Amino acid sequence: MFELPQFSLPLSIFLYVYSAYMLFYVLYSLFNIYHLIRYGVYGFGLYLIVTLFTGGTILLVGGSLYLLLGYDWTQIVSLNALFEKNAGGIFPGL
Amino acid sequence: MFHLDHLPDQRENEKVVLFLRRHWISVLVIVVAFLFLTGVPLFIGWFFSDVMETWLASPTLGPIVVVAASIYFLSIWLFAFLEFTDYYLDTWIVTNQRIINIEQEGLFNRIASELDLAAVQDTTAEIRGILQTMLTYGQVYVQTAGEKGRFHFKNIDNPEQVKETIAHLVEEDKQRIASGGIVPGRVKSILK
Repeated sequence: MFELPQFSLPLSIFLYVYSAYMLFYVLYSLFNIYHLIRYGVYGFGLYLIVTLFTGGTILLVGGSLYLLLGYDWTQIVSLNALFEKNAGGIFPGL
Repeated sequence: MFHLDHLPDQRENEKVVLFLRRHWISVLVIVVAFLFLTGVPLFIGWFFSDVMETWLASPTLGPIVVVAASIYFLSIWLFAFLEFTDYYLDTWIVTNQRIINIEQEGLFNRIASELDLAAVQDTTAEIRGILQTMLTYGQVYVQTAGEKGRFHFKNIDNPEQVKETIAHLVEEDKQRIASGGIVPGRVKSILK
């Protein structure tokens, strides 16, 4: 019979992954916006594009932060416990 | 940013005749890809809403799902924006004296070249396939005597009309030079 090894890690590690990604996202976005403003053709369209992108980013980041703040990040995730607890819950139809 | 009435190294009596970008189908491809990549996971989430609710309610699985979904949707948004920037910054400017070709390749490579109209030897318009024929877009190649003298206007609207306009401007420019104007140069490229 297959048994999962005892494996646990703090849940906050996923928050670090998210933070690292956000750093990459912000740097890349700023670089992209800089390119648009530096080399784009002056006009209403340019401001519209930058505003649309910034607005979309604020909505997405705001939405994800709202959802993420609702969780307790001090927990330790045990792989075994996760599967045992959610054995019937992860896929309720199965 | 630059203004169309203040081009880089603006010449005396120089006026912008054509300002070209790729055909709108290029933007449509980005929009369709974006909608598909966003819509499919959202639809799956909606279809399996019971499972999703269970996952999100779980104190251990919920955060992992939210982090993964956030990274996924932000990546799609960033990818779409990067592709749009690539489209937006690829421009061809035809003035009554020269052609300026600005191409953005990815986020870190940018090529700006210019060509005097009098150096143009031949202009070719090319429309290939059903889609290009129906939507009247395609390629325009501008050939010069120089070694690297071939400008490629990629997927632009009305390539035949653009070709005619360039041919007409070339004739006008050659007449202007013959009557005591500026001596034509060759292709200049600036790599940034």
